[in-house]
Amino acid sequence: MSGPSSSPADRRRLWSGLALPGSLWLAVFFLVPAYTIACVAFGRVDPVFRDAVPVWNPLQWQFDDAGEVMSSVISGPLRGVLLRTTAYVIVAVAVCLVAGYPIAYYVARQTGTRRTVLLGLMVIPFWVSLLMRLLSWVNLLEPDGLASRALRIVGIDRQWLNGSHITVVFGLVYGYLPFLILPLYAALDRLDWRLVEAARDLGATTTQAFRWVTLPLSRAGIAAGSVLIALPMFGDYYTTDLLSRSPRTAMMGTQIDFFLNGSSQKQKGATLVLVLAVLLALVMTWYLVSLARTRREQS
Amino acid sequence: MGLGAAALSPALLAACGGGSGGSSEQLPIGTPQNPVRLPVTREPIADGLAPESGTLRIYDYADYLNPDTIARFESTYGVEVELSTFATEEEALIKLRSGAVDADLAIGLTDLSIAPLVAADLLQPFNRSYLSNFTNLIAGLQDPYYDQGSQYTVAQFIYANGIGYRTDRNLDTSVFTGNEGWNALWDSRYRGRVGILDFYRDTLSMPMLRRGLTDVNTSDRAVVEQAGADLAEVVQAVQPQLDGISYQEIPAGNRDLGFCWSGEMLAGPGYLPEGVDPSVLGFWYPGNTLTGNDFYCLLAKSTRPVLAHAFVDFFLDVDNALENQLYVGYQPALQAIETEQLIERNGLPESLIDALVTPERYESGQRLVRLSPEVDAIWVDVWSEFIAG
Repeated sequence: MSGPSSSPADRRRLWSGLALPGSLWLAVFFLVPAYTIACVAFGRVDPVFRDAVPVWNPLQWQFDDAGEVMSSVISGPLRGVLLRTTAYVIVAVAVCLVAGYPIAYYVARQTGTRRTVLLGLMVIPFWVSLLMRLLSWVNLLEPDGLASRALRIVGIDRQWLNGSHITVVFGLVYGYLPFLILPLYAALDRLDWRLVEAARDLGATTTQAFRWVTLPLSRAGIAAGSVLIALPMFGDYYTTDLLSRSPRTAMMGTQIDFFLNGSSQKQKGATLVLVLAVLLALVMTWYLVSLARTRREQS
Repeated sequence: MGLGAAALSPALLAACGGGSGGSSEQLPIGTPQNPVRLPVTREPIADGLAPESGTLRIYDYADYLNPDTIARFESTYGVEVELSTFATEEEALIKLRSGAVDADLAIGLTDLSIAPLVAADLLQPFNRSYLSNFTNLIAGLQDPYYDQGSQYTVAQFIYANGIGYRTDRNLDTSVFTGNEGWNALWDSRYRGRVGILDFYRDTLSMPMLRRGLTDVNTSDRAVVEQAGADLAEVVQAVQPQLDGISYQEIPAGNRDLGFCWSGEMLAGPGYLPEGVDPSVLGFWYPGNTLTGNDFYCLLAKSTRPVLAHAFVDFFLDVDNALENQLYVGYQPALQAIETEQLIERNGLPESLIDALVTPERYESGQRLVRLSPEVDAIWVDVWSEFIAG
């Protein structure tokens, strides 16, 4: 451990050394798989077993199938899937924010045992596997399910599990909401509430103080939570697979799952993974730029 | 390194015309019109050996063997059976090839897989002297087109593609005659109450059969695209669910009809809620449909090949096969099993007698055979477009 008399160079070396295992982990378990996906996407298919044969030398990569997938994404059938997926994610993130922000705000304003209990309640959904929770919704939303029957009583009678966009968005919100609330809570918990009080002292109404002080100061938490749930939502396939199983609600993950697990065209699935990765990198870039801007404003 | 031509058995390549291109056309693909005798690159085990002790490792679909029947086999031979499972045939092939799964017997594979398994030298031939019950098999399956002489395979179950349905719902079952029955899947009156199989070969073939076509292995892109367009109409008309669980959903009452395999409906009574009469389940299939079978394979690296033979023979026994059918649902490929036995002993409801595949109907059905990579890519593209919605 670095002593009180250690030089800045020693401290830098110490921190670099501490970061080394994590960096190696990332290199091995992120960069290598990412490169492998590219090698599969631009590789070939074993003509006998119809399995992907990665081509490790980029000079030997073939782009025919990738080009076919890209043209489908840009102007073919996969364009609709991408747009649908994007729409689902945008709506689901928006609903998560509307539902999750008040919860995070409320918990952040609590103290002592009450806060601890509320935090515990927020974590409870993680105790049960998401798969099991979604399967329970399948039972509830079946034509004779409890939820379907209850909704019929109030005059809402429809098939919930046969290609319903509402059900898929609901499933996404249900599955990812806790992941939004926690970073949002962390951001609100760190908020300097004296600034809100100052705004009130200067004549701002509750709404104005929220709009001009609380909301801007929690922007980093909103961005972090939104990115945290949007990224996995883009690749999600089991929500629509369990709650819909219809082509009408197919997401990008559905297509990737088919190409990789149900077909002989695994290189096309890998190409779609890369397309999605590029799109998500754009979302991530937006988040990082937004975060840097927020920090500049706050400093 | 992936398995290309270099990893194929030289003897097989020689038998199939050789070459180094690694194209699947070099594989001996049997069809009903052109049966094949697969090349044998290793000798079967010798006659008269005693079954090994220890653990027999089996690779199979989940729920494809009756635990009670397995337990009786274990007590009969004083051994243990260890089961590993796969979800799709593609997964099984890849894991067997890569060595990720080490087993004695593979069960549930079909003729779509046999050529690559033999090509990669992953199988060993059966020794018929250990299979005293082999003659219980349906005659046509004792010498199947994909493996003449049943050298590497022993048939297990037979099935046909058709429509499973509820007899207690308001369905127009009068259409279930001739080829017209397929139209039920396009009937908007059943909107939201229909399921169709999520398997591209089976499901794209179905609209072709509906149109009276018989070439379900076509390389004609226009025909496959027409099938995709027809399926899109199904989505518009009835908003079906795509999956392979009609055997649960129809008995549970969550759907009224579904495009499924006959074995799914034969398994249906086991999924009915308590107190519901099995006669609520029905199945229809026309003469022009897909029929098929799966089989047992003895893996080349088996460390207990004699015990594996004993296991196969055990399940070829009529009583054991009936017990297994009671749990699995699928119909054993045994000519020795009579419809009356399934009704009286296994409680098969009369409403499901039509789900049984007679040897004659099995023979007259269409078969899916392995496609070349180029043709398969056409089918995959059309299916991808269909599931894109």
